[in-house]
Amino acid sequence: MPSRLEELKDGIRKALPDLDMVLAWGQGPDSLRRKPLFIVSQADIDKIVWDPCCSPNLAGYLTGLRGKKVGIVVKGCDCRSVVELIQEKLVDRAEVTIFGLHCEGTIDPAKVRATLPGDARGAFGDCRVSDGRIRFASDTSLQNLAASDAFYDKCLHCSDPNAGFCDYFIGERGTPPPVSTAPPDALERLEAMGLEERFRFWEQAMDRCVRCYACRNACPLCVCKDHCLAQSRDPHWVDQTDHPREKLMFQVIHALHTAGRCVECGECERACPMGLPVMALKRALNRQINELFDYRAGLDPEAIPPLFTFREEEDRIGEKKWS
Amino acid sequence: MVMTEARFIEKQALPSWLASMRKHRRVLVPQRREGLTLFRPLDPGQDLDLDGLSSEPPKAALLPRDEALFAFRYRRNGDKPPRWGVELIETPPNEPTLVFGSRPCDACGFATTDRVYNAGTRRDTAYCARRDQTVVATLACSRPGPTCFCHRVGGGPDNEAGSDILVTEVAKGYLLEAVSSRGLDFMRESGLKDGAGLTAEAATVRRAARAAMPDGPSLLAAPEHVRAVFEDTAFWERTAAACLSCGACSYLCPTCYCFNITDEARGNEGLRLRSWDNCMSPQFTLEASGHNPRPGKAHRLRNRVSHKFAFYPSLHEGALACAGCGRCIVFCPASLDIREIVSQAMIQTANAEGEPRHD
Amino acid sequence: MPILEGKELHIIGFLCNWCSYGGADTAGVGRFVQPTDLRIIKTPCTGRINPLFIMRAFLNGADGVLVSGCHPRDCHYSQGNFFARRRLEVLRALLPVVGIAPERFAYTWVSASEGQRWKTVVERFTEQIHALGPIPAFADPGRIETCLRGQANPYGGSHALTA
Repeated sequence: MPSRLEELKDGIRKALPDLDMVLAWGQGPDSLRRKPLFIVSQADIDKIVWDPCCSPNLAGYLTGLRGKKVGIVVKGCDCRSVVELIQEKLVDRAEVTIFGLHCEGTIDPAKVRATLPGDARGAFGDCRVSDGRIRFASDTSLQNLAASDAFYDKCLHCSDPNAGFCDYFIGERGTPPPVSTAPPDALERLEAMGLEERFRFWEQAMDRCVRCYACRNACPLCVCKDHCLAQSRDPHWVDQTDHPREKLMFQVIHALHTAGRCVECGECERACPMGLPVMALKRALNRQINELFDYRAGLDPEAIPPLFTFREEEDRIGEKKWS
Repeated sequence: MVMTEARFIEKQALPSWLASMRKHRRVLVPQRREGLTLFRPLDPGQDLDLDGLSSEPPKAALLPRDEALFAFRYRRNGDKPPRWGVELIETPPNEPTLVFGSRPCDACGFATTDRVYNAGTRRDTAYCARRDQTVVATLACSRPGPTCFCHRVGGGPDNEAGSDILVTEVAKGYLLEAVSSRGLDFMRESGLKDGAGLTAEAATVRRAARAAMPDGPSLLAAPEHVRAVFEDTAFWERTAAACLSCGACSYLCPTCYCFNITDEARGNEGLRLRSWDNCMSPQFTLEASGHNPRPGKAHRLRNRVSHKFAFYPSLHEGALACAGCGRCIVFCPASLDIREIVSQAMIQTANAEGEPRHD
Repeated sequence: MPILEGKELHIIGFLCNWCSYGGADTAGVGRFVQPTDLRIIKTPCTGRINPLFIMRAFLNGADGVLVSGCHPRDCHYSQGNFFARRRLEVLRALLPVVGIAPERFAYTWVSASEGQRWKTVVERFTEQIHALGPIPAFADPGRIETCLRGQANPYGGSHALTA
């Protein structure tokens, strides 16, 4: 019985002759990181890695590869990104070959190094999920951590661990990551605060923001990045001053522009060098959209995102009465 | 050369001494904030973090994220015929600053920007005004981080370039040794006790740190190889395939120094603002005509790497514009590794030309 | 007219040109008296209103924002207000997350003949905003303020670098 990695490599080996390239993951700059791998030859296939460190969402590269026949390896959330891109016709379904996987959860290197400070600078090998724990060998010892101490926050709320729409499903389908008790995430912590406290939270958090736009550029749905409205001078939505007002405005722009489209893949938070909880805004908007329109992004390639359309009578929008 | 005068402070006395320095100057130190270590004004309520490399270099001490060059206000100057005049308002002067706890790679960043902004007849007045009033007390590193490669780019865990004072952690506390006359003057007024007896111990600590640096070939010979791959578009397309064109690498880099100037107005008043810019952004070279000489991310990555490892060295006697701090590697969302890029350039051109040069 | 400091709050109204602006006109022609805090920005249709206008207004210091358009099914451009309804309902969910009281924002429908209704809307909304008080302000007023009004923030960089 071949391992999932072997089955994946086999599948890609067979499909590659008909494709221009395949996107998968390869070894990154340290033991806890994997990087996007652009496979163009059979020799590249040997470099593929598949383990809980494979966090990057490769779907974002598809829009820059229009016109090419591209294979892509996806986890559950990544797959929803691809489906959303197909829904919005930003990607041509016929040009994409999707290899889907079941994901057990993805490692957040910063969390792991914070949980194991003695090993913070060391190397970690052979990361596996078994019996509800995340196990890996570090320089000094064998470690096992709870999911909440090792995985990205987004994995702790995972509802779609299996790639839902693909050409080839590799291995067996499985359950979401094993989470016993998750500490409150940023949105939950915010909602436990009073209003003014929330405002001050963002004022303080945005002080760390350097406006690198890593969050925007990592987002698979942000296809306008070269022409982003937040960087236009006319209209002048956001100015260049390093003030929390401007930086928060940018986050609001990003959140509203992805409302109803965001699949919560978490790339924005993963990419942020300053560890800002930028997913909180998107999750709040997605929750509202789900409540109003019973809709979640990236599940049905034929569906129309709710903000692209309307109904004359809205089931769940009650209108304020000013008598 | 480290000058012979030295001062010493015990570990537990450091926080109160730093607090006392605040009477006459702004004191910037690495502090823990939400799991990161950032250079911020000293705050007794926050934990000082002198262990390991800060997330952000102290670059903003000399090159603030934004800076008003001047403010302006349009005023009516008469009615027949209506005229408008503009009033230019100077921005207030800087205050003296102490940066305590920078690392040699961070200080190498200051040395890099000094060559550009404080170079003989070419002086950026705003930068120089800050530089002249800033004392940089750099803490030598005792052990390397996972992505540290300062020793491969002409630096090292106890390198002095860009610093005014070199601080070494010894058993009982910190030894301060002056590197520049500005550092010496500061130490003489610091109120700290003499530390001459500990210089030998400090030297031993620093020697051990140098020995602990991980193996890896020097990149000082990189410039000619990086220059040689400039026309190899396939190399740069391949290298930049995963790049997202964000600014994480540039903004967290101690040696990146590019800026943008914009007028930010509210009605009839506003200011001329200088702010950080980064060459990975598509707008960086976008011209008014609409033409962009660096339209794709491969062009822009080629420029960034070539600037640091080829163009800048050619203008500054071989000094690389890379401090080897590794922050770009740590923070790149796509895991681009500048060590790998430069090494690939060296391997590729070495194959083409034969044995690489070893000078 | 500049805002009456200490008595008036900053309330922005985005009104569609056809119904709501007409309704406000009707209120004016009828000489109805109403609070003057609300200042109108006219758009062709509520469908033209980018939810970011509302966010930008709040972040710039508006204490309240009101949007008013044609009644659904009566949009001058047929569909604009249907889109607006969806967008603005979604926007409402974002306000409390960033610490802005959701009651500071409201959207409503006022037709061109509903002058009395417009007066009621303005009175009620202005009362609602006065009950909430001024919106929280950023601790750092911003680089323009500090440079032009001579407040102490000489260093450049984020406000935290001056603490």
